[in-house]
Amino acid sequence: MSKIGVFICHCGHNIAGTVDVEAVAEALRRVPGVALATTYKYCCSEPGQKLIRDSIQEQGLDGVVVAACSPAMHETTFRRAVASAGLNPYLCECANIRELCSWVHQGDPEQATAKAIAIVQTIVEKVKRDEPLEMLKLPITRRALVIGGGIAGLQTALDIADAGYPVLLVERSQRLGGKMAELSGTYLNFEAASDLLAQKIEAVTHHPRIEVLTEAEVVEVSGYVGNFNVRVGRLGTDKLVNWEGQAPSTNLPMYQSTELAVGAIVVATGYDRYPLSALPEYGAGQIADVIDTLAFEGMLATGGEIRRPSDGKVPREVVFVQCAGSRDPEHGVPYCSKICCMVVAKQATMYARRVAGGQAYVFYMDIRSAGRGYEEYVDEAMQKHGVLYVRGKVSRLFPADSKVMVWGVDTLSGRPIEVAADLVVLATPMVPSAGTAELAQRLRAATDADGFFAEAHPKLRPVESLTAGIYLAGAAQGPKDIPEAIAQASGAAAKVLSLFSHEEMTQDPLVAYVIEELCSACGTCVEVCPYQARSIHPVRNVAIVNAALCQNCGACVVACPNKASQVFNWKPEQFLAMVDAIF
Amino acid sequence: MRRALVVGAGIAGIQVALDIANSGYEVVLVERLPSIGGHMAQLSETFPTLDCSQCILTPRTVEVGHHPNIKLMTYSEVISVESVDGESGKLGHREAGEQVTNLPIYQSTNLPEFRVRIRRKAAYVDWNLCTGCGACQEKCPTKVISEFERGMGQRKAIYVVSPQAVPNKPVIDAEHCLYLTSKQGNSTTGVALHPADIEAGRVSAVGKPRRPRCGLCARVCPTGAIAFDQEDALFEERVNAIVLATGYDLLSPTRLPEYGGGRLPDVIDGLAFERLLSASGPTAGKIRRPSDGAEPKEVVFVQCSGSRDPERGVPYCSKICCMYTAKHAMLYKHHVPDGHAYVFYIDVRAGGKGYEEFVNRAAEEAGVVYLRGKVSKIVPQDGRLVVWGADTLSGQRVEIAADLVVLATAVLPAAGSERLAAMLGLASDGSGFYVPANAEIRPVESHVPGVFLAGAGLGPRDIPETVAQASGAAAKVLKLFAAARREGDEESEGNTEVME
Ligand SMILES: Cc1cc2nc3c(=O)[nH]c(=O)nc-3n(C[C@H](O)[C@H](O)[C@H](O)COP(=O)(O)OP(=O)(O)OC[C@H]3O[C@@H](n4cnc5c(N)ncnc54)[C@H](O)[C@@H]3O)c2cc1C
Ligand SMILES: Cc1cc2nc3c(=O)[nH]c(=O)nc-3n(C[C@H](O)[C@H](O)[C@H](O)COP(=O)(O)OP(=O)(O)OC[C@H]3O[C@@H](n4cnc5c(N)ncnc54)[C@H](O)[C@@H]3O)c2cc1C
Ligand code: SF4
Ligand code: SF4
Ligand code: SF4
Ligand code: SF4
Ligand code: SF4
Repeated sequence: MSKIGVFICHCGHNIAGTVDVEAVAEALRRVPGVALATTYKYCCSEPGQKLIRDSIQEQGLDGVVVAACSPAMHETTFRRAVASAGLNPYLCECANIRELCSWVHQGDPEQATAKAIAIVQTIVEKVKRDEPLEMLKLPITRRALVIGGGIAGLQTALDIADAGYPVLLVERSQRLGGKMAELSGTYLNFEAASDLLAQKIEAVTHHPRIEVLTEAEVVEVSGYVGNFNVRVGRLGTDKLVNWEGQAPSTNLPMYQSTELAVGAIVVATGYDRYPLSALPEYGAGQIADVIDTLAFEGMLATGGEIRRPSDGKVPREVVFVQCAGSRDPEHGVPYCSKICCMVVAKQATMYARRVAGGQAYVFYMDIRSAGRGYEEYVDEAMQKHGVLYVRGKVSRLFPADSKVMVWGVDTLSGRPIEVAADLVVLATPMVPSAGTAELAQRLRAATDADGFFAEAHPKLRPVESLTAGIYLAGAAQGPKDIPEAIAQASGAAAKVLSLFSHEEMTQDPLVAYVIEELCSACGTCVEVCPYQARSIHPVRNVAIVNAALCQNCGACVVACPNKASQVFNWKPEQFLAMVDAIF
Repeated sequence: MRRALVVGAGIAGIQVALDIANSGYEVVLVERLPSIGGHMAQLSETFPTLDCSQCILTPRTVEVGHHPNIKLMTYSEVISVESVDGESGKLGHREAGEQVTNLPIYQSTNLPEFRVRIRRKAAYVDWNLCTGCGACQEKCPTKVISEFERGMGQRKAIYVVSPQAVPNKPVIDAEHCLYLTSKQGNSTTGVALHPADIEAGRVSAVGKPRRPRCGLCARVCPTGAIAFDQEDALFEERVNAIVLATGYDLLSPTRLPEYGGGRLPDVIDGLAFERLLSASGPTAGKIRRPSDGAEPKEVVFVQCSGSRDPERGVPYCSKICCMYTAKHAMLYKHHVPDGHAYVFYIDVRAGGKGYEEFVNRAAEEAGVVYLRGKVSKIVPQDGRLVVWGADTLSGQRVEIAADLVVLATAVLPAAGSERLAAMLGLASDGSGFYVPANAEIRPVESHVPGVFLAGAGLGPRDIPETVAQASGAAAKVLKLFAAARREGDEESEGNTEVME
């Protein structure tokens, strides 16, 4: 007979406010094999964990069920507590009576309590049949791959290499530096974007532990955290001259392709500008003197005079249009590109400083200058440099003589506004860099609704992807400016350094296995496994599982015609017993 | 042995400590409150995903509490730092506030070494004996206004900060404990976080009449952990890197006289509203206004209260309040569907993943009314609050009779950060926030070798930015330690594989 301890958590009001936890404990005490059923206000708190540890030791429990929040929250906490009391951690399971019960049945305590009892009963039956398992140990290749050589990629590579590990930096264009190399200056330092960047590039190219491959791309990725195999293709130079906007293709001729084992991959592929041609309502792409901020950045960068594209004249009136395509689900992208309010303030200021007597206008919806010193910066653009900020949308843009007429409404005064501009600069959206979707697929990393790489958790795991061993740096994860990109790039490096600080890594043993006597090597599981974890052993001729790749999805279990495929601690008899417990 | 000191155990300090500790180095984590978590422990749900803050935080605090490489020192403060090696020996001589720009990127393989003195405040409880059973708190007769609940709830004189606190060991508040005050001859008048609360008459020690020598807690404690004679303790730690993660405070409403100056009980700040929203808060997650416990039907949120206002408050933008106000207004509407929420704003600053969409949801789906304009005055009238403002879009004056007003007050550096900065010889820019070595390309390093920066102590920021950046600071520490390990006299540990 098992001796299972059931700990029912109040979670303050979260559970106990709806579920009658005492009734649940009472009901569970009557279940055969349950030696103890008790409630506690916060099981995850220190005294809560202590209660579990003490009960294991005092009552000699051989299984533990914590009826509380989702296992995604505290399974690790409770398993660790159980292990420290000397019980195998895999004999502890969480019964989710919060997300699956109290939170969704708030108005109905009676039914919620009945449901909670049922949920806990099923888990008790599962635990009765759980086997003790040991952590899997896997080797780690302590070398990192960084994809993308913008400021984010450079910073990550430096941080990892300085800490002593070799790095391969793969950049698909001909040079390092990414967009920062196209900038005139930074917000706070008008002249020195290139100097700041040059320092980093210099450090990277001369680093004994960094190997840089330009005009190269990652074409294939296999393996798993700690043990990836990547194939990097170096493309013919001629194929890359017009790289911009062209989708990468693995079919391009390669004159060299290298296979390399790496333990961690950092994605730092940055962003791209939004195609001007996609904003016809601003005359973009048709009117020569309507350009985007990156193009204006190029004019400022030359250091010389600012001249407009059509006739080379110095523009006297320049109109900047913020959110041109951003925050506009109908015509552009729904999100805010985050940096352009500041970029425009910088460009308008630089323009005002360079062109005496020139007038800059900025059309905006909200000025998003939230950042250290940023508010003051925009104030200075207005007050010191006479930049005229107009709150409103541009309604029409059309060429008239040699000018570009800009019609808009000042939403503050309610009056229509008309500016005859010499040059119009559109703050167009930042979009994921070309080829992001394909790369994401190759890496088996997820992207978000806007096409940027998705972080593992929007609050607490901002530099990790959902795929173990793949980390995110810079604008590849979403629009950000240089300081934020750099901080996050170092953050990604920290994750790699943490991983590499161990000789080997441990992995949850909850994976699929094959009962070899039953396996007919039909290969069905190999086909269905979405994570390429299954193969047929060439000699023994049975299906085998690469435990490091298996994500415990169960597809193989269902597919196997011989019932030879199972998942540890999710065996069919466990499911049946769980169902029997409540029906 | 290479060790790091992390000062402040909000989410920033926690993240830094975990990243360093998980890489095999020792961390001394110093937090001045009795338990860790910082402001995140006070939040209800977090934008833009509305995850429950406690729920995502506790796995981290629990991990810190158990981590074999983390030496957690709560209820403690750093009182002095001295540099031991030559490299950072300049430290002691540097004037606080001296600007040091363009220092070379730290390259020395000499590991800096700091001697740090830490004072642990007397908890009057022997934590080695205490099991966290809670019996003492149940029996303690003295109720005190709770700082954690922003003055809206009560705690005992012996207390833990929150039910899920790590470590879950109580401390005795010597200013209110009957035994200690009678022993030391202190008086028992209430002292709470906000002087404003006192003025408003909301604060007093609600306990029983003063009675010498209570000692109830000592009597009920099953392990004899109560130690009334405990004194402050001094510790010395040697570390090779320091990360400052001391976070922020909010501007006191007393600085905003036109908004009631903290005298109007139903004018509260954002953190107080978080407590009202929180299921574990003083109202168990029901929206009730402080003055009379009624459910407010008209709620006005005032953004930029004291921010972007060089004359009366601070010149900078506090960065997080547009987003949390959208969250507050939206959650309010979820709690009180027939209520009305109004937001006064100058600009809505929603730059971040999913943020723009979040604010749109607040306005369009939840029906929050956004008014572009400033609030000039809040005056009490017949048990309500009249909010006078201007709608700069229609050019009209607006007057709203509100039941509750929530001020999104300015974010300030945590009290005491300037003292720490001066102690370490860090540069200062007058705002009180820490100054990075280069705001653009070295955002997490300070000017002083071996000293790094993380979290809202560098300026207002939300949780994702804080966490990403905290990991960034950890990387700098790891890099420093690893470089020293390579060049140092210890054996190379076999991780300097050279690429073929
Ligand atoms: C007009 C304008 C002005 C700006 N001004 C400022 C400013 O003043 N201050 C500031 O802080 N920020 C500014 N920014 C923002 C700044 O450009 C970004 O923050 C920064 O460039 C982000 O760096 P990153 O490394 O993440 O991305 P990127 O700079 O985009 O670098 C990504 C790199 O990855 C490479 N890459 C992409 N895909 C692949 C692939 N599949 N394989 C291999 N390599 C790949 C790209 O070729 C590129 O080199 C400005 C942006 C614009 C548009
Ligand atoms: C009303 C409100 C709502 C918010 N909502 C959200 C949200 O929904 N989503 C989101 O992303 N962000 C939100 N935030 C922002 C969030 O609170 C911060 O991003 C986050 O708490 C910053 O963490 P931190 O660790 O840097 O600072 P803190 O949380 O302030 O932690 C600092 C810690 O250091 C300690 N400390 C300070 N000085 C010392 C010292 N000298 N010695 C020792 N210890 C010291 C403090 O006691 C504290 O524990 C909100 C903020 C407010 C005000
Ligand atoms: S950063 Fe400013 S200009 Fe850019 S999309 Fe956001 S609000 Fe518009
Ligand atoms: S459980 Fe899923 S991931 Fe694991 S081997 Fe089976 S099909 Fe593949
Ligand atoms: S001595 Fe009395 S007042 Fe003081 S903490 Fe103990 S029970 Fe509370
Ligand atoms: S009664 Fe004693 S053991 Fe229990 S919490 Fe209080 S001090 Fe700790
Ligand atoms: S974040 Fe929004 S509310 Fe806060 S100070 Fe900035 S503009 Fe004002």
